[in-house]
Amino acid sequence: MGVAYKAVQWNRQKFVYDIILLTTVVFYLFFFEGISLHFSSDLDIKGIWIRAFGSAAFILLHVILSIGPLSRLSPKFLPLLYNRRHMGVTMFILALLHARDALAWYHDFGNLEPIVSLFVSNTHYADFIRFPFEALGGVALVILFLMAATSHDFWLTNLTAPVWKALHMGVYLAYGLLVGHVVLGALETNTHPLLTLAVGVGFVWIVGIHLITALREAQKDGAPLFGPPAQPKVDADGFVHVGSVQDIPENRAKIAVVAGERVAIFKYEGKISAISNVCQHQNGPLGEGKIVDGCITCPWHGYQYLPESGISPPPFTEKIPTFNVKLQGDQILVSAKPNLPGTPVVPAVIGQV
Amino acid sequence: MSRLDSHDEFFIGYLGVPPQLKRFLLGLIPVLVLGALAFAFILPPLHFDHFNLGKRTKVPEFEGLLVGEPSPHLLVPRTGDVGTVSDFSLYLLSGTGKTSPKPKVLEHVDKWVKLKGTPFHRNHLTVIATKSAEPIDRPTSGPTQPAEGSSLGEFSLKGEIVDGKCYPGVMKPGRTKTHRSCAIRCIAGGVPPVFVVHNSVGDKLYFLLSDLDGKAVNDKVLDRVADPVQITGEVVQYADAFVLKADPATYQLL
Ligand code: HEM
Ligand code: HEM
Ligand code: FES
Repeated sequence: MGVAYKAVQWNRQKFVYDIILLTTVVFYLFFFEGISLHFSSDLDIKGIWIRAFGSAAFILLHVILSIGPLSRLSPKFLPLLYNRRHMGVTMFILALLHARDALAWYHDFGNLEPIVSLFVSNTHYADFIRFPFEALGGVALVILFLMAATSHDFWLTNLTAPVWKALHMGVYLAYGLLVGHVVLGALETNTHPLLTLAVGVGFVWIVGIHLITALREAQKDGAPLFGPPAQPKVDADGFVHVGSVQDIPENRAKIAVVAGERVAIFKYEGKISAISNVCQHQNGPLGEGKIVDGCITCPWHGYQYLPESGISPPPFTEKIPTFNVKLQGDQILVSAKPNLPGTPVVPAVIGQV
Repeated sequence: MSRLDSHDEFFIGYLGVPPQLKRFLLGLIPVLVLGALAFAFILPPLHFDHFNLGKRTKVPEFEGLLVGEPSPHLLVPRTGDVGTVSDFSLYLLSGTGKTSPKPKVLEHVDKWVKLKGTPFHRNHLTVIATKSAEPIDRPTSGPTQPAEGSSLGEFSLKGEIVDGKCYPGVMKPGRTKTHRSCAIRCIAGGVPPVFVVHNSVGDKLYFLLSDLDGKAVNDKVLDRVADPVQITGEVVQYADAFVLKADPATYQLL
């Protein structure tokens, strides 16, 4: 947490963020209904809401999935990432309203329980064109629910970051299922080329921007996507050459891959320290952070760590692994073996051998 | 590594937004918001079936002959000069849910009734969501006995089986795949299936479906609802409607 002792909690940014988000959603639904009514009779208001909620959730999901890679490509997008979980929860609520209305509209008042009817009315699970697309939306909704339900930091702390992260990777599975849901459902009925184009462009954008980011990251790590990674120079004590002091701007870091793990090597006040690149909060990339008030500050939500020990400034207690460092001239060497989280390490002093 | 700029601005949520970043966001956020809102204007007209208005007419009561087969319907005598057209209008009947009319209504089959319900129509297809029916005397004037159906011969028709309640307007669009599960639920519950055929000039023709014995086919067509199918059978003109008689086992998926 932050040395400024401002709780990483509700603050002006979050309020502004949420107000913009919610206003946009409300206006979207309002316009969607108005434009639809302009074309329709008064009998299918519920049908309009199903489409309005569904499309709003789907569009928002595209925004959410774009923020991650965009922030890796340029830190200018980081403020969008800051409160992304509120976007996620909003998206889930929209998806839930969509599913609730679809269930009521298409399955209520019949001779089966609606939820049973949802899965057994159309049974062509083995047929591509006739596939019951609602089931795909249903599975996606369950994934989104699990993510929304565990989105609060309480769960993040108690499930541990890696588990939470793994759960949140489920969003990609959900996205895939939802593309199927829309292509095999709405697009089979509403065959307007612009609709198909919109879904297609959205899909290519999401996949494309992730691929570009993955390539860029691999390049930065010096690891080719295919074939064995370049072998780094390792000295007799197990220290790896990671580059020169001149590579790193003051109060900033360079990220290097050491023994398969990303390490953030910071330069500050004539010293060099190395810590794990992975933030305890949400696995944010610490190496893209900055030293603020003497603390390594995560670019995502501003968690802070002392560079010499990897421990958050008191009274906070987050700990991350540190790495021993030494200098040979202006060449930085980092131990391939991480220290236990929170282990103090004497920084290498620039100009001293 | 990409950096913001020479000033090395760094955003920390609980502090303020640095000035250059603020300028960037002031450009980006409106674009994002307006981009998302644009979809609210673009999407609705791209959905089909906004123009076929299902209409609710505010006539709560009908008098006519209640008929049970192939699917429950009401024959309402037409008044005035009907020319060469049938003496009777045919209204399909459903219950108030995804169901057939209540047993209390159906016990009056083959009798004249005063029927209460909400009629919905699309083009010349009308369904009444029936609330109740009470027997009345056979009228003394006007047409009282509908003619037998007359065969128009055998036809092979391509179209889609829809449910006779949603399609005329209760829950639009009432056809094609997004509506499939709902239509299956309706037809399984006793709502009359209707075969919609587009002829070569784009008119819509509606056919009631019956098996070779003139009985309802509901449970036998569930698997063919909302698919493009070809049905070959005898077309019988009956009141102002058409009945297509064919064995459901011979329906062909296209
Ligand atoms: C529908 C209602 C709510 C939802 C869906 C929701 C969801 C969330 C999510 C997803 C976060 C994590 C934000 C992030 O760091 O990216 C969050 C943080 C937070 N929420 Fe809520 N929230 C809701 C209502 C509230 C209310 C009513 C309060 C307090 C009165 C509250 C207090 C907080 C606080 C203090 C945090 C910051 C926790 C931290 O970052 O350590 N929330 N909320
Ligand atoms: C139990 C879960 C779900 C059910 C039963 C369901 C059902 C449906 C149905 C019946 C339609 C067709 C509506 C129409 O006639 O136009 C539809 C469309 C759609 N659904 Fe879902 N859905 C579910 C979950 C989801 C989720 C989780 C999302 C997204 C987050 C989603 C996004 C969409 C979208 C974008 C459309 C197209 C809307 C349009 O035509 O503009 N659905 N869904
Ligand atoms: S502060 Fe949230 S990931 Fe680092």
